[in-house]
Amino acid sequence: MEYTRKLADKLSVEQVKIELLNTAYGNGDTFLAKLDPRTLFLWYLFFGIVPWFVHDTGVLIGMCLFMVITTYMAKISPLIIFILCLGLLGQGGYLLVVSLLFGGDWSTMLPLLVLTVKLSTISLASITVFCSMNPDKLSDGLLKIKVPGQVSFSIAYGYRMLPTLLEEYHHVFQSFRLRGKAPEKHGFLYIRSIAYFVKIAMLSFYPLLLSTAKRARTTVEALETKGSMYGFNHPEVKKLKLASLSMKRQDYLFLIGSAVYVTGLFILI
Amino acid sequence: MTTVNKRYTLTQSQKMMVFILSMSLYGLSNMITELVPSVNLGPIELSIEYFAFIPLTLCILFHPLYAAIGASLGEIIFGELMLGQFGGFGELEKFIAFSLAMYVAGTFVRDPRNKMQVGIAAMLGVIIHQLISVTVDILKVWVGVEELEAVPGLAESVVVVEGFSFLNDVLFSGILFALLPTLYLVPRLYGKIEPLLGMKPRDRNDRYSLAEIIGPRLIVIGFLLAAAAFIFEYLSEAGFNVEWEADFLDMFGDWFIWVSIGVALLVVITTIIVMVKKKSKTDVTKKQEDKIPS
Repeated sequence: MEYTRKLADKLSVEQVKIELLNTAYGNGDTFLAKLDPRTLFLWYLFFGIVPWFVHDTGVLIGMCLFMVITTYMAKISPLIIFILCLGLLGQGGYLLVVSLLFGGDWSTMLPLLVLTVKLSTISLASITVFCSMNPDKLSDGLLKIKVPGQVSFSIAYGYRMLPTLLEEYHHVFQSFRLRGKAPEKHGFLYIRSIAYFVKIAMLSFYPLLLSTAKRARTTVEALETKGSMYGFNHPEVKKLKLASLSMKRQDYLFLIGSAVYVTGLFILI
Repeated sequence: MTTVNKRYTLTQSQKMMVFILSMSLYGLSNMITELVPSVNLGPIELSIEYFAFIPLTLCILFHPLYAAIGASLGEIIFGELMLGQFGGFGELEKFIAFSLAMYVAGTFVRDPRNKMQVGIAAMLGVIIHQLISVTVDILKVWVGVEELEAVPGLAESVVVVEGFSFLNDVLFSGILFALLPTLYLVPRLYGKIEPLLGMKPRDRNDRYSLAEIIGPRLIVIGFLLAAAAFIFEYLSEAGFNVEWEADFLDMFGDWFIWVSIGVALLVVITTIIVMVKKKSKTDVTKKQEDKIPS
């Protein structure tokens, strides 16, 4: 009981917000964060795709271990790992229960387990890469690989704004609760309370839609003032903006190291 | 008379505003729905699949293309990448299917004040999206898993699971989280939110060039997109096509299975404990509590 309360404290909205900001800006000093975005994209291109086509369990487990190590190196926040584990468990467990209902046996679990290892490898790779880059770096990196400026800006912007939005949403939600009246009885299986909260959760988007619209306009106006719209479409401006990106020795070393490890996996197993 | 049938056009900046608005809001809602757990009644999963009303409302009120693409991108960035649930190529199928569904729903509405149109469009969007994903899901297993016989129960279970989830998503999520909120929000936001972005509200006379949209181009593009979506799903699901290895069990032993069952059990027990504790907790919101067992 004590434990659940501690967990509840840890999972407050404040905490989620802090974790998100941490994810966005917190780990600039890790090894992975110092790499060039292009290195990370290349690396992800491999580890995001290749595991789908690998059917050898040994190789998959080796890759998964490698991902665990890089995830550890990237100092990913526990919240994100927690959500990842829930997602994987939920997916695998659900399919298992259903196959059992239809007369499958434990052997159904084996392909599912392999699939889970695959999924977790890919998910960990994406967490490692995208949590190691702060929004500015991500945006610059995307711009460099010829993603349209609007898109790359929006991603970085969303990354940055999300904690603020979450806080605002929470405020609206709380004020709805303050002014409203919670159902007196929980009803069968808490159905009334759940319905009440879900309704508030949706109603809270109404003020949020308006305030976000206002914010979007301010942002775009600020962009225009800074001449970003011009910059998105002119190569010279882009070049100037992205001059700070360069592949250094550590980038090549990291890529070569990963390649050696993977080749080793395929040869040895 | 040229003003009557003029097309609904936006400047570059306005498109960007719609895009940003749609992306950040739907991204936020996605993060919330990811954190709220689902309730399983046997094989039927009652879950808040997504807050579809946000992209639907925006697609109806603004230019559907930018709102739809923004929402899909928001989902991928915040619901998947940031939370580490990125499924590689499989995401492309979601992206295409969702954008297409929302876009069609948005173009269907010609007058946002007409509740009938808004309601039909909301359901249409959900049905198109679910239909695409269910068809792809079923096909990919039937086509993709050659050793279907080696895995008893898998083939039937996939069809039944998908069927259930389709009905659940359309009837439960569709009505509760798409139809009703959209009907509530669109008339209230109409005329209020557009000035905030510095544009005129859509009215009966503004229309997207309908001939262009419903013409052969849409059908061809839709077909191509659906095919692409299927191929990408199939590629990503090639993972099902695993050579069955008998010595896998020897390698790990039975305990490996029991570990996963044990963890699942732990989650269930925590859920029950929290349900019991919920009465005594008054200062924490429902959302926060629900995150614990999820």
